[in-house]
Amino acid sequence: MGTRGYILKKVFQAFLTLLAVIVFNFFLFRILPADPVDILTRGAGAKLDDAEKAELRASYGLDKSLFPGQFMDFMGDTLRGDLGQSIIQRPGEDVTAIFGEFMWPTLLLVGVSTLISTVLGIFMGIYAGWRRNGTFDMFSMGFSLVLYSMPEFWLGMLLILLFSTTLGWFPSSGRASVGGAYTGLAAVADIVNHLFLPALTLTLAYLGEYYLVMRSSLLDVLGEDYITTARAKGVREKWVLRRHAVRNALLPTITLIALSFGFVLGGAITVEVVFSYKGLGGLTYDALQNRDFPLLQGVFLIASATVIGMNLIADLIYGYFDPRVREA
Amino acid sequence: MERRDGMRSARRIVATTAVLGMLAGISLSSSALAQDASSSASAEPLTFIIGMTNNVVTFNPLTAIEAPEYEVNGMQYNLLFGFAQDDMSAVPEIAAEIPTKENGGLSEDGLTWTIKIKPDLKWSDGEPLTANDVAYTYNLIIDQNFSAFTSYLPFTDSITAQDDTTLIWRTTKPSIAPLIPPWIYILPEHTWSKFKDKDAIKKFEGFPDQVTSGPFRVTDWNKDEDWTLEVNPNWWGTKPTIDRVIFKKYSNEETMVQDLEQGAIDFAESVPVDLFESLQGKEDQGITANVGGSFSFVQMSFNQCFVQKDCADSTGHPALKDLNVRTAVAMAINKDQLVDRILGGYGTAGSTIVVPTTPFWHWDPADATIPWSIEDANTLLDDNGYVDSNGDGIRNMPGGGEELNFRFIVRTESPDGVKAGKLIAGWLKQIGIGTQTTAVTDAKLIDAWYALDYDLYIWGWGPDPDPDFILSTFTTDQCGSWSDTCFSDPQYDQLYDDQRAATSPDERAAIVKQMQEIIYTQVPEVVLWYDNDLQAYRSDKWTGFQLQPTPNADGEGGYALFQYGTYSYENIKPVTGSGAGSASTTGASAGLWIAILAGIVVVVGAVVLVRRRGSDEDKA
Repeated sequence: MGTRGYILKKVFQAFLTLLAVIVFNFFLFRILPADPVDILTRGAGAKLDDAEKAELRASYGLDKSLFPGQFMDFMGDTLRGDLGQSIIQRPGEDVTAIFGEFMWPTLLLVGVSTLISTVLGIFMGIYAGWRRNGTFDMFSMGFSLVLYSMPEFWLGMLLILLFSTTLGWFPSSGRASVGGAYTGLAAVADIVNHLFLPALTLTLAYLGEYYLVMRSSLLDVLGEDYITTARAKGVREKWVLRRHAVRNALLPTITLIALSFGFVLGGAITVEVVFSYKGLGGLTYDALQNRDFPLLQGVFLIASATVIGMNLIADLIYGYFDPRVREA
Repeated sequence: MERRDGMRSARRIVATTAVLGMLAGISLSSSALAQDASSSASAEPLTFIIGMTNNVVTFNPLTAIEAPEYEVNGMQYNLLFGFAQDDMSAVPEIAAEIPTKENGGLSEDGLTWTIKIKPDLKWSDGEPLTANDVAYTYNLIIDQNFSAFTSYLPFTDSITAQDDTTLIWRTTKPSIAPLIPPWIYILPEHTWSKFKDKDAIKKFEGFPDQVTSGPFRVTDWNKDEDWTLEVNPNWWGTKPTIDRVIFKKYSNEETMVQDLEQGAIDFAESVPVDLFESLQGKEDQGITANVGGSFSFVQMSFNQCFVQKDCADSTGHPALKDLNVRTAVAMAINKDQLVDRILGGYGTAGSTIVVPTTPFWHWDPADATIPWSIEDANTLLDDNGYVDSNGDGIRNMPGGGEELNFRFIVRTESPDGVKAGKLIAGWLKQIGIGTQTTAVTDAKLIDAWYALDYDLYIWGWGPDPDPDFILSTFTTDQCGSWSDTCFSDPQYDQLYDDQRAATSPDERAAIVKQMQEIIYTQVPEVVLWYDNDLQAYRSDKWTGFQLQPTPNADGEGGYALFQYGTYSYENIKPVTGSGAGSASTTGASAGLWIAILAGIVVVVGAVVLVRRRGSDEDKA
């Protein structure tokens, strides 16, 4: 199969997966036992009469039959990019608009953390793999395994205790100081201040994974025949590492990076909740607690679409870097 | 040899540039710090910051639902009659006085209330606030059928403004309604009349173009993060000392409490028991943990749908029809232990459906208290023929019928309720009653409750200070609407109407107590406990909190904030010399960040330089 065929096949597969997700999404939220209108009426204390309830149901299209009525409406709206309106969290606001508002803080947080942790993780992995069983390898291995296995929320709480409660260096919550305390450059610094601890938590949490994957992949490659051949040819060690080993060992890490960028939009739910950081993770958490179905449905859909999209990109990059994949 | 020297010198360059870079950064940062300090010295508004985990979705007084929405609207708007600081009885707010027959406020036939309004009241835009606004608001509720509020205006014939300071409220039956009092914020007719219908009103979020009357006004709202209120310059009451109140929404209580300890916020609302205990005894560190008021209760309800018209589909266990069984169950529940083990002692054992926080309305069972006694409960069941006929440890209906196995629903959203369910199931087992406990979401419980498909469930209420609403939920016609149990008692229904028509508070209180006695002795449900709201604040920085209601001898039971009124907000002031209220921020300043960034750039630059030289040498 040629390059074109490979790309077409991957795009088609991604499209099919997306379609399946949309259909699944529809049924998932319809089989849940709760009627949002009832939640609104009792839990919320709005003493609606039956006519008002019926009116509410009709306005959300909940009075139509599940199939084809609600299903066709849903598919049509989704394909047009209309993900409906929030019921409880932001009554009446478009889900896409809410998503846009919450996306940027999360992109900033997860983007910065992913960037730093990939760069650091890859370099540490290379160094540790290259000097296997050296002092750095021993220490970094232990360090990364501990970080990799630690729950993010717990790590976050520990960092808050150390940097916030004890040392008082960084704020422990929010995206910026309340009450518009700063303007200009100071406002930017304020945002960076607030970003520091959640970003550090996520960086440390991601670091271990990148480190471990990079290290083990480098170790695999270093055992290959072509490395021995290169060495036998008298190529300097540094060149063996750079030209022959690292390039090949990077392949699995590239996939991992692309995939984790896919999860950027899914948000770092636990970290955002621990740090009360306004973003998609916190939004998802609140929407779940409030049973804001249209909002949840929209968030799920966009999050899965991003993962599928990034997966596709990972496949394409992989195909580009490793011709064997295209041929297979 | 040459190469090694080259490396060494390269390392030296890196080290030197990095040190230089850091030094430059630090000098920059110190100058920036100096700048920060000078800017904060200028007149900054005195700011009080409140942390909580509840969110707001609207500031529209007619669509607000959540506690923080009520808190904010209580600061923005006013009621005709408010709630007293000591006992939450009705006090004049927009009204000038409490109308009585003696002062001509109530006609002899009890059908016409003449309510005097304070003169010279103003809206935040400077327009006068008059009796016309009150009449407009109440008529809007009735005409547009805002059903969450219509029950505050029963038997209304007409509500009109005779002049700017006189409101005439005519009823078709004698009614105490004005003094319940209606919890309806008075709205400005001159801006609200632009809404053409109910839908237009419901779309209004109450911000940013709101015209208000209270001491504070929302001026900034970062949705799902924080919202700011500033003093209303046209406020006509006691002028607050603080200039601004900021509410900050947290996603979890732990971080909120950390921020309180760190001084990033001044007040933490609704602190969970375990965190609250960690804050106790920290007065010397500047934190006061306040056991606040108790306006809510948690109850275990019995399916009582046996006689009404809609009860054909009820699947309630037949034994629940027998008062002896319900009484035995009530006897088996050790309420003191529930309070100790579940609330950590921050609550009181439950008795009647009207909270003891309102002693004027609360009926104390005293000698009539159903005592906690497993032994007496067993005897009561034995005496009435509920014996275990097949020896499996579970009693049967008299004559060896169906076993006393009850379906027991608890709410996954209330960990306290789940714990209580476990304890109660254990006690019921000791009196030979089996339970199948299921923990479900609120939505599922609502389904089961609508369908009358349950035997027992645990839920709770947070009623108004006035008992009218909670009493109404036990009337027969509330079955399928607000009634917990579908309890039905004609005498109770009659008393409910009587208390609404009573025209003196004392007369009404007597009826209200009689109604509580009926519910307590008929046991359609068991009130398990009244829980206290737990609050904490920085007492090293702030003083002047006005507790509501008057706390008990232990200093407990008064809300410091989240009150019925704005008593604390009007009186909070900074402790002298504490530096309270200035925007206290933790963390590095702009300068430090510039320094760090500059340092990184220098180091990275140097490393790149060295690597290049290194690789040049390599190639050489």
